Amino acid sequence: MDVFTLSFWGISLALTGVSLAKSKEKTFEAMKKSRGMMGNMLGEIIAIIFMIGLVLTFIPPESIKSVLGSENTFISSIIAAIAGSITLIPAFVAFPLVGSFVNVGASIIPAVAFLTTLTMVGIVTFPLEKKEFGFKFALVRNLLSFVAALVIAMAMGVIL
Amino acid sequence: MTITKVLKKNKLMAIVALIYLAIFVFMPDKAAEAMGNSVYYLIEMVQVLPIIFLLTVVIEALVPKEMITRRLGAKSGFLGNILSLILGSISAGPIYAAFPISKMLLTKGASVSNVVIILSSWAVIKLPMLANEAKFLGVSFMGVRWVLTVIAILIMAWITEKLVSKKDMLITSTVVTDKQIVINHDYCIGCGICVKMLPEVYEMIDQKAHVKAGGIKSGDDAMILKTADKCPVNAIVAKEKGGAVA
Repeated sequence: MDVFTLSFWGISLALTGVSLAKSKEKTFEAMKKSRGMMGNMLGEIIAIIFMIGLVLTFIPPESIKSVLGSENTFISSIIAAIAGSITLIPAFVAFPLVGSFVNVGASIIPAVAFLTTLTMVGIVTFPLEKKEFGFKFALVRNLLSFVAALVIAMAMGVIL
Repeated sequence: MTITKVLKKNKLMAIVALIYLAIFVFMPDKAAEAMGNSVYYLIEMVQVLPIIFLLTVVIEALVPKEMITRRLGAKSGFLGNILSLILGSISAGPIYAAFPISKMLLTKGASVSNVVIILSSWAVIKLPMLANEAKFLGVSFMGVRWVLTVIAILIMAWITEKLVSKKDMLITSTVVTDKQIVINHDYCIGCGICVKMLPEVYEMIDQKAHVKAGGIKSGDDAMILKTADKCPVNAIVAKEKGGAVA
Protein backbone atom coordinates (compact mmCIF):
# COMPACT_ATOMS: atom_id res chain seq x y z
CA MET A 1 0.00 0.00 0.00
CA ASP A 2 1.42 3.42 -0.88
CA VAL A 3 1.58 6.36 1.51
CA PHE A 4 -1.46 7.99 -0.02
CA THR A 5 -3.75 5.01 0.40
CA LEU A 6 -2.45 4.52 3.93
CA SER A 7 -3.14 8.11 4.92
CA PHE A 8 -6.63 7.75 3.50
CA TRP A 9 -7.17 4.74 5.70
CA GLY A 10 -6.09 6.86 8.65
CA ILE A 11 -8.33 9.79 7.75
CA SER A 12 -11.43 7.75 7.05
CA LEU A 13 -11.01 5.64 10.20
CA ALA A 14 -10.59 8.81 12.27
CA LEU A 15 -13.67 10.39 10.69
CA THR A 16 -15.69 7.25 11.32
CA GLY A 17 -14.57 7.46 14.95
CA VAL A 18 -15.82 11.03 15.14
CA SER A 19 -19.11 10.01 13.58
CA LEU A 20 -19.51 7.12 16.05
CA ALA A 21 -18.76 9.41 18.97
CA LYS A 22 -21.28 11.96 17.75
CA SER A 23 -24.14 9.57 17.13
CA LYS A 24 -23.87 5.81 17.16
CA GLU A 25 -27.39 5.43 15.89
CA LYS A 26 -26.93 7.74 12.91
CA THR A 27 -23.65 6.09 11.97
CA PHE A 28 -25.09 2.60 12.00
CA GLU A 29 -28.06 3.83 10.02
CA ALA A 30 -25.66 5.31 7.46
CA MET A 31 -23.68 2.07 7.39
CA LYS A 32 -26.80 0.13 6.54
CA LYS A 33 -27.50 2.52 3.69
CA SER A 34 -23.97 2.46 2.32
CA ARG A 35 -23.87 -1.31 2.58
CA GLY A 36 -26.97 -1.47 0.41
CA MET A 37 -25.52 0.92 -2.15
CA MET A 38 -22.06 -0.60 -2.31
CA GLY A 39 -23.37 -4.15 -2.15
CA ASN A 40 -25.17 -3.38 -5.36
CA MET A 41 -21.96 -2.25 -7.01
CA LEU A 42 -19.62 -4.89 -5.65
CA GLY A 43 -20.60 -7.64 -8.08
CA GLU A 44 -20.12 -5.30 -11.02
CA ILE A 45 -16.79 -4.03 -9.75
CA ILE A 46 -15.45 -7.58 -9.45
CA ALA A 47 -16.74 -8.34 -12.94
CA ILE A 48 -15.02 -5.19 -14.22
CA ILE A 49 -11.74 -6.21 -12.61
CA PHE A 50 -11.73 -9.60 -14.32
CA MET A 51 -12.65 -7.83 -17.53
CA ILE A 52 -9.56 -5.62 -17.14
CA GLY A 53 -7.47 -8.78 -16.75
CA LEU A 54 -8.87 -10.05 -20.05
CA VAL A 55 -8.22 -6.80 -21.89
CA LEU A 56 -4.65 -6.65 -20.57
CA THR A 57 -4.03 -10.19 -21.78
CA PHE A 58 -5.33 -9.69 -25.31
CA ILE A 59 -4.16 -6.09 -25.72
CA PRO A 60 -0.85 -6.08 -23.82
CA PRO A 61 0.60 -2.65 -22.89
CA GLU A 62 3.50 -3.13 -25.33
CA SER A 63 1.09 -3.24 -28.26
CA ILE A 64 0.39 0.45 -27.73
CA LYS A 65 3.85 1.19 -29.09
CA SER A 66 2.88 0.16 -32.58
CA VAL A 67 -0.08 2.52 -32.37
CA LEU A 68 1.93 5.49 -31.15
CA GLY A 69 4.60 5.05 -33.78
CA SER A 70 2.58 5.17 -36.98
CA GLU A 71 3.32 7.72 -39.70
CA ASN A 72 0.10 9.74 -39.82
CA THR A 73 -0.19 11.71 -36.56
CA PHE A 74 -3.90 12.43 -36.95
CA ILE A 75 -4.94 8.82 -37.45
CA SER A 76 -2.53 7.48 -34.86
CA SER A 77 -3.90 10.02 -32.33
CA ILE A 78 -7.44 8.79 -32.85
CA ILE A 79 -6.39 5.15 -32.63
CA ALA A 80 -4.32 5.92 -29.52
CA ALA A 81 -7.35 7.63 -27.93
CA ILE A 82 -9.50 4.59 -28.69
CA ALA A 83 -6.83 2.26 -27.30
CA GLY A 84 -6.71 4.36 -24.13
CA SER A 85 -10.49 4.15 -23.78
CA ILE A 86 -10.52 0.36 -23.95
CA THR A 87 -7.49 -0.52 -21.88
CA LEU A 88 -6.90 0.21 -18.23
CA ILE A 89 -3.14 0.07 -17.82
CA PRO A 90 -1.89 1.09 -14.38
CA ALA A 91 -0.32 4.56 -14.45
CA PHE A 92 3.07 3.34 -13.23
CA VAL A 93 3.27 1.10 -16.30
CA ALA A 94 1.80 3.62 -18.75
CA PHE A 95 4.11 6.56 -17.98
CA PRO A 96 7.45 4.77 -18.41
CA LEU A 97 6.10 3.07 -21.54
CA VAL A 98 4.94 6.31 -23.17
CA GLY A 99 8.00 8.12 -21.80
CA SER A 100 10.43 5.72 -23.43
CA PHE A 101 8.64 6.31 -26.67
CA VAL A 102 8.46 10.08 -26.58
CA ASN A 103 12.10 10.28 -25.52
CA VAL A 104 13.27 8.59 -28.71
CA GLY A 105 11.52 11.27 -30.73
CA ALA A 106 7.98 10.08 -31.40
CA SER A 107 5.20 12.68 -31.67
CA ILE A 108 3.68 13.58 -28.31
CA ILE A 109 0.18 14.13 -29.71
CA PRO A 110 -0.88 10.47 -29.86
CA ALA A 111 0.97 9.89 -26.58
CA VAL A 112 -1.07 12.56 -24.76
CA ALA A 113 -4.33 11.37 -26.37
CA PHE A 114 -3.57 7.88 -25.07
CA LEU A 115 -2.61 8.96 -21.54
CA THR A 116 -5.71 11.13 -21.19
CA THR A 117 -8.34 8.65 -22.40
CA LEU A 118 -6.60 5.94 -20.37
CA THR A 119 -7.90 7.46 -17.15
CA MET A 120 -10.86 9.61 -18.19
CA VAL A 121 -12.74 7.35 -20.62
CA GLY A 122 -13.77 3.92 -19.44
CA ILE A 123 -15.49 1.52 -21.78
CA VAL A 124 -15.03 -1.29 -19.28
CA THR A 125 -16.52 0.73 -16.42
CA PHE A 126 -19.34 2.07 -18.61
CA PRO A 127 -21.98 -0.49 -17.49
CA LEU A 128 -21.47 0.48 -13.84
CA GLU A 129 -21.45 4.21 -14.60
CA LYS A 130 -24.64 3.80 -16.61
CA LYS A 131 -26.33 1.90 -13.81
CA GLU A 132 -25.41 4.44 -11.15
CA PHE A 133 -25.84 7.72 -13.02
CA GLY A 134 -28.09 6.88 -15.96
CA PHE A 135 -27.29 6.19 -19.60
CA LYS A 136 -27.36 9.79 -20.73
CA PHE A 137 -24.86 11.02 -18.15
CA ALA A 138 -22.44 8.14 -18.75
CA LEU A 139 -22.59 8.63 -22.51
CA VAL A 140 -22.17 12.41 -22.39
CA ARG A 141 -19.32 12.26 -19.89
CA ASN A 142 -17.35 9.61 -21.77
CA LEU A 143 -17.88 11.20 -25.20
CA LEU A 144 -16.88 14.64 -23.92
CA SER A 145 -13.79 13.16 -22.25
CA PHE A 146 -12.81 11.47 -25.51
CA VAL A 147 -13.08 14.72 -27.46
CA ALA A 148 -11.31 16.61 -24.67
CA ALA A 149 -8.42 14.13 -24.81
CA LEU A 150 -7.92 14.83 -28.52
CA VAL A 151 -8.13 18.59 -28.01
CA ILE A 152 -5.67 18.46 -25.09
CA ALA A 153 -3.32 16.36 -27.21
CA MET A 154 -3.39 18.80 -30.11
CA ALA A 155 -2.93 21.80 -27.82
CA MET A 156 0.07 20.06 -26.24
CA GLY A 157 1.50 19.49 -29.70
CA VAL A 158 1.25 23.22 -30.38
CA ILE A 159 2.58 24.38 -26.99
CA LEU A 160 5.49 21.99 -26.48
CA MET B 1 -34.52 -15.82 -5.69
CA THR B 2 -34.61 -18.03 -8.72
CA ILE B 3 -31.53 -18.62 -10.87
CA THR B 4 -32.80 -16.38 -13.66
CA LYS B 5 -33.28 -13.55 -11.18
CA VAL B 6 -29.76 -13.97 -9.83
CA LEU B 7 -28.43 -13.93 -13.39
CA LYS B 8 -30.41 -10.84 -14.27
CA LYS B 9 -29.11 -9.01 -11.25
CA ASN B 10 -25.52 -9.92 -12.10
CA LYS B 11 -25.62 -9.69 -15.87
CA LEU B 12 -22.11 -8.33 -16.23
CA MET B 13 -20.68 -10.96 -13.90
CA ALA B 14 -22.40 -13.72 -15.88
CA ILE B 15 -21.05 -12.41 -19.17
CA VAL B 16 -17.48 -12.18 -17.85
CA ALA B 17 -17.72 -15.66 -16.34
CA LEU B 18 -18.89 -17.02 -19.70
CA ILE B 19 -15.99 -15.39 -21.55
CA TYR B 20 -13.53 -16.87 -19.05
CA LEU B 21 -15.12 -20.28 -19.39
CA ALA B 22 -14.79 -20.14 -23.17
CA ILE B 23 -11.15 -19.06 -22.98
CA PHE B 24 -10.36 -21.73 -20.40
CA VAL B 25 -11.61 -24.34 -22.85
CA PHE B 26 -9.90 -22.99 -25.97
CA MET B 27 -6.85 -21.08 -24.67
CA PRO B 28 -6.14 -22.23 -21.11
CA ASP B 29 -2.81 -20.37 -20.88
CA LYS B 30 -4.45 -17.04 -21.87
CA ALA B 31 -7.15 -17.54 -19.25
CA ALA B 32 -4.56 -18.13 -16.55
CA GLU B 33 -2.70 -15.02 -17.67
CA ALA B 34 -5.89 -12.93 -17.54
CA MET B 35 -6.59 -14.21 -14.02
CA GLY B 36 -3.07 -13.26 -13.02
CA ASN B 37 -3.47 -9.79 -14.50
CA SER B 38 -6.66 -9.29 -12.51
CA VAL B 39 -4.97 -10.01 -9.20
CA TYR B 40 -3.25 -6.61 -9.05
CA TYR B 41 -6.60 -4.86 -9.46
CA LEU B 42 -8.30 -7.14 -6.94
CA ILE B 43 -5.68 -6.19 -4.35
CA GLU B 44 -6.20 -2.52 -5.22
CA MET B 45 -9.95 -2.96 -4.76
CA VAL B 46 -9.55 -4.61 -1.35
CA GLN B 47 -7.30 -1.73 -0.27
CA VAL B 48 -9.57 1.03 -1.51
CA LEU B 49 -13.21 -0.07 -1.20
CA PRO B 50 -13.31 -0.18 2.63
CA ILE B 51 -12.14 3.45 2.66
CA ILE B 52 -14.85 4.38 0.19
CA PHE B 53 -17.41 2.60 2.34
CA LEU B 54 -16.29 4.49 5.46
CA LEU B 55 -16.27 7.80 3.59
CA THR B 56 -19.83 7.36 2.29
CA VAL B 57 -20.90 6.51 5.84
CA VAL B 58 -19.19 9.63 7.18
CA ILE B 59 -20.71 11.87 4.51
CA GLU B 60 -24.16 10.44 5.18
CA ALA B 61 -23.91 10.63 8.97
CA LEU B 62 -21.86 13.77 9.58
CA VAL B 63 -22.43 16.18 6.70
CA PRO B 64 -25.87 17.79 6.64
CA LYS B 65 -27.65 17.90 3.31
CA GLU B 66 -27.96 21.67 3.39
CA MET B 67 -24.20 21.98 3.56
CA ILE B 68 -23.61 19.84 0.49
CA THR B 69 -26.34 21.68 -1.38
CA ARG B 70 -24.81 25.01 -0.41
CA ARG B 71 -21.20 24.08 -1.17
CA LEU B 72 -21.63 21.74 -4.15
CA GLY B 73 -25.18 22.39 -5.34
CA ALA B 74 -26.45 24.22 -8.41
CA LYS B 75 -25.94 27.60 -6.78
CA SER B 76 -22.44 26.95 -5.43
CA GLY B 77 -20.91 28.58 -8.51
CA PHE B 78 -17.22 28.70 -9.29
CA LEU B 79 -16.18 28.06 -5.68
CA GLY B 80 -18.20 24.85 -5.77
CA ASN B 81 -16.32 23.82 -8.91
CA ILE B 82 -12.97 24.48 -7.27
CA LEU B 83 -14.00 22.57 -4.15
CA SER B 84 -15.06 19.61 -6.34
CA LEU B 85 -11.73 19.75 -8.15
CA ILE B 86 -9.86 19.59 -4.86
CA LEU B 87 -12.08 16.80 -3.52
CA GLY B 88 -11.47 14.71 -6.64
CA SER B 89 -7.74 15.41 -6.70
CA ILE B 90 -6.99 14.37 -3.14
CA SER B 91 -8.79 11.08 -3.60
CA ALA B 92 -7.39 7.57 -3.68
CA GLY B 93 -8.19 4.70 -5.97
CA PRO B 94 -9.48 4.09 -9.48
CA ILE B 95 -12.48 5.80 -11.07
CA TYR B 96 -15.01 3.16 -10.01
CA ALA B 97 -14.18 4.07 -6.41
CA ALA B 98 -15.47 7.57 -7.21
CA PHE B 99 -18.91 6.24 -8.18
CA PRO B 100 -20.29 5.53 -4.66
CA ILE B 101 -18.99 8.84 -3.27
CA SER B 102 -20.30 10.87 -6.22
CA LYS B 103 -23.66 9.15 -6.06
CA MET B 104 -23.92 9.88 -2.35
CA LEU B 105 -23.06 13.56 -2.95
CA LEU B 106 -25.51 13.74 -5.86
CA THR B 107 -28.42 12.44 -3.79
CA LYS B 108 -27.46 14.87 -1.02
CA GLY B 109 -27.65 17.88 -3.30
CA ALA B 110 -24.46 18.22 -5.38
CA SER B 111 -24.98 19.56 -8.90
CA VAL B 112 -24.44 17.59 -12.12
CA SER B 113 -21.46 19.72 -13.12
CA ASN B 114 -19.73 19.20 -9.79
CA VAL B 115 -20.24 15.45 -10.04
CA VAL B 116 -18.53 15.55 -13.45
CA ILE B 117 -15.64 17.49 -11.94
CA ILE B 118 -15.25 15.09 -9.03
CA LEU B 119 -15.37 12.00 -11.28
CA SER B 120 -12.95 13.42 -13.86
CA SER B 121 -10.40 14.86 -11.47
CA TRP B 122 -10.60 11.65 -9.43
CA ALA B 123 -9.60 9.77 -12.56
CA VAL B 124 -6.89 12.06 -13.89
CA ILE B 125 -5.42 14.32 -11.25
CA LYS B 126 -3.57 12.51 -8.51
CA LEU B 127 -0.39 13.54 -6.79
CA PRO B 128 1.41 10.17 -7.01
CA MET B 129 0.45 10.00 -10.68
CA LEU B 130 1.64 13.54 -11.39
CA ALA B 131 4.98 12.77 -9.75
CA ASN B 132 5.29 9.67 -11.91
CA GLU B 133 4.47 11.62 -15.04
CA ALA B 134 7.01 14.33 -14.26
CA LYS B 135 9.65 11.66 -13.71
CA PHE B 136 9.19 9.90 -17.04
CA LEU B 137 7.92 12.67 -19.32
CA GLY B 138 9.36 15.81 -17.78
CA VAL B 139 7.99 18.53 -15.53
CA SER B 140 6.86 20.85 -18.34
CA PHE B 141 4.97 17.99 -20.05
CA MET B 142 3.21 17.15 -16.81
CA GLY B 143 2.50 20.81 -15.98
CA VAL B 144 1.04 21.71 -19.36
CA ARG B 145 -1.07 18.55 -19.44
CA TRP B 146 -2.34 19.28 -15.93
CA VAL B 147 -3.39 22.85 -16.78
CA LEU B 148 -5.08 21.80 -20.03
CA THR B 149 -6.85 18.93 -18.29
CA VAL B 150 -8.24 21.16 -15.54
CA ILE B 151 -9.57 23.60 -18.16
CA ALA B 152 -11.07 20.71 -20.14
CA ILE B 153 -12.74 19.27 -17.04
CA LEU B 154 -14.36 22.63 -16.20
CA ILE B 155 -15.67 23.00 -19.77
CA MET B 156 -16.93 19.40 -19.77
CA ALA B 157 -18.74 20.00 -16.49
CA TRP B 158 -20.44 23.06 -17.90
CA ILE B 159 -21.55 21.26 -21.08
CA THR B 160 -22.79 18.20 -19.16
CA GLU B 161 -24.83 20.42 -16.85
CA LYS B 162 -26.54 21.86 -19.93
CA LEU B 163 -27.18 18.46 -21.55
CA VAL B 164 -28.06 16.20 -18.62
CA SER B 165 -30.57 17.08 -15.94
CA LYS B 166 -30.47 15.72 -12.44
CA LYS B 167 -33.74 14.03 -13.24
CA ASP B 168 -32.02 11.87 -15.87
CA MET B 169 -29.48 10.74 -13.32
CA LEU B 170 -31.67 9.90 -10.36
CA ILE B 171 -34.42 8.08 -12.21
CA THR B 172 -32.38 4.89 -12.06
CA SER B 173 -33.55 3.87 -8.65
CA THR B 174 -31.53 1.86 -6.21
CA VAL B 175 -32.51 -1.75 -5.83
CA VAL B 176 -31.84 -3.45 -2.55
CA THR B 177 -34.63 -5.96 -2.30
CA ASP B 178 -36.57 -7.60 -5.10
CA LYS B 179 -38.62 -4.43 -5.27
CA GLN B 180 -37.71 -1.54 -7.47
CA ILE B 181 -39.33 1.87 -7.36
CA VAL B 182 -39.64 3.99 -10.45
CA ILE B 183 -40.92 7.52 -10.06
CA ASN B 184 -42.25 9.19 -13.15
CA HIS B 185 -41.14 12.77 -12.77
CA ASP B 186 -43.38 13.97 -15.58
CA TYR B 187 -46.34 13.12 -13.34
CA CYS B 188 -44.91 13.92 -9.89
CA ILE B 189 -46.38 17.14 -8.54
CA GLY B 190 -44.10 17.25 -5.50
CA CYS B 191 -46.93 16.94 -2.98
CA GLY B 192 -44.66 15.18 -0.49
CA ILE B 193 -47.12 12.52 0.67
CA CYS B 194 -44.66 9.71 -0.06
CA VAL B 195 -41.91 11.50 1.86
CA LYS B 196 -44.24 11.90 4.83
CA MET B 197 -45.25 8.24 4.73
CA LEU B 198 -41.77 6.80 4.21
CA PRO B 199 -39.03 9.35 4.87
CA GLU B 200 -36.43 6.53 4.90
CA VAL B 201 -37.16 5.73 1.26
CA TYR B 202 -38.28 8.96 -0.40
CA GLU B 203 -36.89 12.46 -0.47
CA MET B 204 -37.65 15.70 -2.28
CA ILE B 205 -35.12 17.09 -4.73
CA ASP B 206 -36.08 20.13 -6.78
CA GLN B 207 -39.74 19.62 -5.86
CA LYS B 208 -39.81 16.06 -7.23
CA ALA B 209 -39.87 12.86 -5.22
CA HIS B 210 -36.74 10.70 -5.47
CA VAL B 211 -35.74 7.35 -4.07
CA LYS B 212 -32.87 7.69 -1.62
CA ALA B 213 -29.65 5.85 -2.37
CA GLY B 214 -29.81 2.51 -0.60
CA GLY B 215 -33.12 3.53 0.90
CA ILE B 216 -35.19 0.50 0.08
CA LYS B 217 -35.03 -2.21 2.74
CA SER B 218 -36.62 -5.60 2.73
CA GLY B 219 -39.15 -4.73 5.41
CA ASP B 220 -40.51 -1.76 3.50
CA ASP B 221 -42.28 -3.68 0.74
CA ALA B 222 -45.81 -3.34 2.07
CA MET B 223 -45.34 0.32 2.92
CA ILE B 224 -43.88 1.05 -0.53
CA LEU B 225 -46.96 -0.43 -2.18
CA LYS B 226 -49.07 1.82 0.06
CA THR B 227 -47.18 4.93 -1.02
CA ALA B 228 -47.64 3.94 -4.67
CA ASP B 229 -51.33 3.60 -3.91
CA LYS B 230 -51.58 6.93 -2.08
CA CYS B 231 -49.70 8.95 -4.71
CA PRO B 232 -52.40 11.29 -6.08
CA VAL B 233 -51.02 11.24 -9.63
CA ASN B 234 -49.82 7.61 -9.69
CA ALA B 235 -46.26 8.67 -10.38
CA ILE B 236 -44.82 5.94 -8.14
CA VAL B 237 -44.57 2.50 -9.64
CA ALA B 238 -43.30 -0.41 -7.54
CA LYS B 239 -42.00 -3.26 -9.66
CA GLU B 240 -40.58 -6.67 -9.06
CA LYS B 241 -36.95 -6.40 -10.14
CA GLY B 242 -36.97 -7.29 -13.81
CA GLY B 243 -40.58 -8.42 -13.57
CA ALA B 244 -44.08 -7.10 -14.03
CA VAL B 245 -45.56 -4.12 -12.21
CA ALA B 246 -46.70 -5.18 -8.76
